[in-house]
Amino acid sequence: MAGFGGLLLIMAAAETGALLFLNSLRHNDTTLQARFLQRNRTLERIRSNIYQSGTFVRDSLLAPEQSGAQAQLATLAGLRKDSENALAAYAAALEPEEAGPFRALRSQINAYWNVLDRTLAWTSAERGKYRDAFFYEELVPRRTSMLQIADRIEALNEEALRRGDAKLGDLFGRLQLGLLAMIAITLLGGASLAGFTIFHILKLEGEVRQRLAESVDARASLQELSARLVRLQEDERRALSRELHDEVGQAFSAVLLETENLLDLASAPEVRAHLDSIRGVAEKGMNEIRNMALLLRPSMLDDFGLLPALEWQAREIGKRTGLRVQVASEMSGELPEEHKTCVYRVVQEALNNCAQHAQASAVQVSVRQESARILVTVQDDGSGFDPERVRGLGLLGMEERVRHLGGSFHVDSRPGRGTLLSVVLPLAAIPESSPRPDATATPARLQTEVVWNGGAGGADSHSAG
Amino acid sequence: MGPIRILLADDHNILRDGMRLLLERQPGFVVVGEASDGREILQLAQDQRPDVVVMDIAMPNMNGIEATRRIVEKQPHIGVVILSMHHDESYIIRSLKAGARAYLLKDAVKAELILAIEAVMEGRSFFSPKVSRILQEDYFQALGRRDADDSYELLTDREREILQMIAEGKTNKEIANTLNLSLYTVDTHRTHILQKLNLHSVPELILYAVRKGIIS
Repeated sequence: MAGFGGLLLIMAAAETGALLFLNSLRHNDTTLQARFLQRNRTLERIRSNIYQSGTFVRDSLLAPEQSGAQAQLATLAGLRKDSENALAAYAAALEPEEAGPFRALRSQINAYWNVLDRTLAWTSAERGKYRDAFFYEELVPRRTSMLQIADRIEALNEEALRRGDAKLGDLFGRLQLGLLAMIAITLLGGASLAGFTIFHILKLEGEVRQRLAESVDARASLQELSARLVRLQEDERRALSRELHDEVGQAFSAVLLETENLLDLASAPEVRAHLDSIRGVAEKGMNEIRNMALLLRPSMLDDFGLLPALEWQAREIGKRTGLRVQVASEMSGELPEEHKTCVYRVVQEALNNCAQHAQASAVQVSVRQESARILVTVQDDGSGFDPERVRGLGLLGMEERVRHLGGSFHVDSRPGRGTLLSVVLPLAAIPESSPRPDATATPARLQTEVVWNGGAGGADSHSAG
Repeated sequence: MGPIRILLADDHNILRDGMRLLLERQPGFVVVGEASDGREILQLAQDQRPDVVVMDIAMPNMNGIEATRRIVEKQPHIGVVILSMHHDESYIIRSLKAGARAYLLKDAVKAELILAIEAVMEGRSFFSPKVSRILQEDYFQALGRRDADDSYELLTDREREILQMIAEGKTNKEIANTLNLSLYTVDTHRTHILQKLNLHSVPELILYAVRKGIIS
């Protein structure tokens, strides 16, 4: 920025300087011309005065009578005065070279006037006597010599003009040179500035590219992290749910059974009352544990698959909120673990939204498997919303789950028009060799064929209590 | 008639101990073996030739539903009593379809276990009251959802009578004797009932009867 500013300033200054300089050159040139013309005119005047006076004196000498001497003298004096004025004017702006010739001219002219003055005082006889001699020996040589001097001065004057012109030309040349230098400097500055700028821009571009790569990386690892968190959370939920159900719940049922056994043996009413209270607590605990386990992750999802879990979810939400949920499914086999969980959680979240926010009364859930993808839709008849403006964490979480499996997530809703949520999950990544070969071999009987807790693998064993 | 031979399948020792205590105090009951997973109970059922198997669903290596299916497939006379913590109809229906004749919840073992064993020994079904209620609720919900005609209305009085007796576990011969009909007639009724209700097996028929509240 500063570089560009500096360059512009330099260019502006150079142009202004050049303009001012050109202006003064033109002014100088004009002055020079004017002065030359002025001096030339002055010389012309002097010359013409000399001619006139010569002519005047000749005519008066040729006149037969000397008459009006006074008037003639006055005329001659006027001419002389004018000449002297002209001389004085010329002397005011004298070139040094002209000083010598000008002095000579001046004294010659003075002498000339004196000679002329003298002739006017001549008598008629004197005139006749000296006239011719005066003409040819005095007047003409003097005039010739004066005019020669005047010519020299004129030549000098012209010389001065030429010198002035040369000086101006010189100055102009210097200006040209200066301008050339300025252009060169400006070009050089501009070029280096451009070079610097390009370098800087390239550097910035590189930095931007690096930042972009970094942020893309960061985003990818963030997504990876969030997917891993989701997976971890799901694993943990599954483990917790199973642990609660199979261990804690079974412990409660053992307590229950033992309490009942004790009740058979005990006859004292006080003991029986305590045993009854223990049984009550154990029953309550068992129910709560069971509900908690189902909320964490319904065991049907792992035991029987997606559809039974969705149907359970539909029934549960129906019992809890009165929402009528219909689940339709066209599946040709069981889904991979991650897909199953993803669809279940998305539908669960959607149903919760329907019940909590949408004031819906009926919801239709559809899960369809097409050749290599699963299509899930959840359609409610609730109040709807504007998906451009409302983007809750719930929706974001659903979308994130779906995107991580390479699927697409779409919400179609308008206030007052209900909500249609659609998910498409690609299934290309399903491995051919299923961990449950008997289950995939006969999908129709899948529901009773499923073997869990290690299943066909047999190695992974559930710890016995 | 000898004592009722019972096998216990549950992966929790304390529970098995509790059940054994409970059952052996009952005259005429004898626990002939215990298993802690599904594969073990398959082996025991083959070796011990029990009358009744009391089976948990959540077990390692093979779950109780699969074990039930395999046992009933080979030895249909064995009465399987499911004893589970699972409330949901998906577990109940799958157990019944696999061939279990009774489904109990673990929060009412004492009162119901003996009754259930006695029922399956007589060839009847038995469900905890809660289980019957769950199945009926779901049935009516499904009915309401589908807005469907109740196919039960299609049955004649005689067919309804026979439906109940089949569901209660009576054999064709017993039904024929009770109603004073020929074996052939009972068999024809049975076929009609299954056709009209769009059912395919006795377990499905029992499930239907439970849901309708015909038996409990």
